Amino acid sequence: MAAQPMKSRWPGLLLLAVIAVALVALPWTVNNYWLRVATGALMWAGLACSWNMLGGYAGYINFGHSAFFGLGAYVTAFLMNDPFGLPFLVTIPAGMVVTAVFAVVIGAPTLRLRGAYFAIATWAFAEVLIQFASAMDFTGGIGGIGLPPFLNERFFYFAMFGAAALTYLVAWALFEHSRFGLKVKALRDHEPAAEAMGINTALVKLQTFVLSAVTASVFGAIFAYWVTFINPKSVFGGDITDQMVVMVLLGGLGTLWGPAIGGVALFVVNRLIWMHWGDTAFYIAVLGAAIVLVVLFLPNGIAGLFVRRKANALEKAAGKLVGGGGER
Amino acid sequence: MSASAQASAEPILLVRGLYKHFGGIKATNGVDLAVGRQEIAGLIGPNGCGKSTLFSLVSGTVAPDKGEIRFDGRAIAGMSAHRIARLGLARTFQIPALFDNMSVTENLLAAAAEGHWPGAWERAAETLSLLKLEHVADNRASDLSGGQQKLLEFGRAVMRQATLILLDEVTAGVHPNIRKIILEAIASLRERGVSFLVIEHDMEMVRSVCDRIIVMDSGRVVTSGAFEDIVRNSEVMQTYLGRPQ
Repeated sequence: MAAQPMKSRWPGLLLLAVIAVALVALPWTVNNYWLRVATGALMWAGLACSWNMLGGYAGYINFGHSAFFGLGAYVTAFLMNDPFGLPFLVTIPAGMVVTAVFAVVIGAPTLRLRGAYFAIATWAFAEVLIQFASAMDFTGGIGGIGLPPFLNERFFYFAMFGAAALTYLVAWALFEHSRFGLKVKALRDHEPAAEAMGINTALVKLQTFVLSAVTASVFGAIFAYWVTFINPKSVFGGDITDQMVVMVLLGGLGTLWGPAIGGVALFVVNRLIWMHWGDTAFYIAVLGAAIVLVVLFLPNGIAGLFVRRKANALEKAAGKLVGGGGER
Repeated sequence: MSASAQASAEPILLVRGLYKHFGGIKATNGVDLAVGRQEIAGLIGPNGCGKSTLFSLVSGTVAPDKGEIRFDGRAIAGMSAHRIARLGLARTFQIPALFDNMSVTENLLAAAAEGHWPGAWERAAETLSLLKLEHVADNRASDLSGGQQKLLEFGRAVMRQATLILLDEVTAGVHPNIRKIILEAIASLRERGVSFLVIEHDMEMVRSVCDRIIVMDSGRVVTSGAFEDIVRNSEVMQTYLGRPQ
């Protein structure tokens, strides 16, 4: 949508620049604990964005998204260990390719399903991968697999920052400012009508699914190298997807910045709870409460709250101009 | 007759022996019809006679059991909906099928996103002007009135730059002002070479805009002709008003 009429974007760009500068300066202003928290927050913000590509923009609720996070993690772990011993940066594109192949194979049949049926099919896929990784020797089985340690917190912070920034840039360019985004949102709102507009909905869904999966795999790769040890539950577990879903719902489904808001907010709450009570069982209750509150009071999430306020102000202004409602 | 003259004389839409049964329900039961180039053909018939199913079959939303559909000389029966749309056939739905969470402008742009993108913004502005929707251009589609929703759906079909548009009760239940806008737009588009097949129950609308009326009953075409001939046809009147017991 390159020819879109220009609106005043300076306030938004200024805010973005301030946030970017603050994020770049952060590693020199906080201790290692908070740097790890920030690294985790960036990871969750990026993962939530990757889930939102299919769940928010295309309307297909994927309950097996952790499968792609886990694939990226396992490919990196597998390739960095003997006999391959490949450098970390080489393993990322390898993980992306493997994940893309899995996404095509799984997406082609499951994207014919809708609603709960699609959600169940994708959830089942992640469960299959948990069982597979638990049973196989080359994955380290249920005991997991270690990676060569690299104890440089700043490296992982900037790796997550770069991956998250790239993910949001891709989402902004593809879903908010391109014909592709129009097609994706059209099929979300009315698939038969989108088909009648010449949109090959099966292809567009599959492209979105692959893009969403591949971005998640990048975070899995960085995560594995960061924590230096993974097992099936820690990277394929359903609770990973559950958190992404709640983060997006809280921040704003189908919005660009909603996943960042929800991801950072919930992960910071998670760490604060951990700091004060030592375990994160209470965090599960917080997630449950967040879902209830969002459903009741924030159906469009926190990001939707700002959009709604803007819309209300416009509606009031319009009401004053025309002196009441029009024909409906 | 030259080859080009022959091609232009060929109907834009030709349907022969089209069958679609849903279990025991014979939605279309051997439909035969043709729509000429730059023609506005009205399709009438009682509820449940198969008009909307015929639209779904022609536009590829539903695959036929049997029969031939030719659009602009190409066989399209069983082809997917998006491929048929790309050949230049656009349609509206009986209940407006809008992209609810997108703005009015985005709805129009989405219609041009596949294959008709160059100049899409300019065409969207023209369409907004043609359909007098400029003042709601940034509104969400779901916030429009019923009549405006019908206009927007019609606008999306216009954005497709189609050569044949299927309109399913596009003026049903709308304000007379909106109806006037739609009728003027149809006339204007026909001047630019667009053909129409229009499902309509409003006989005044059918009389004022259609060149020819096609009457369906029980899944097949029973007759076709000029409006005056159709209203004098006792079989058609029985179809609409019921047969004496």
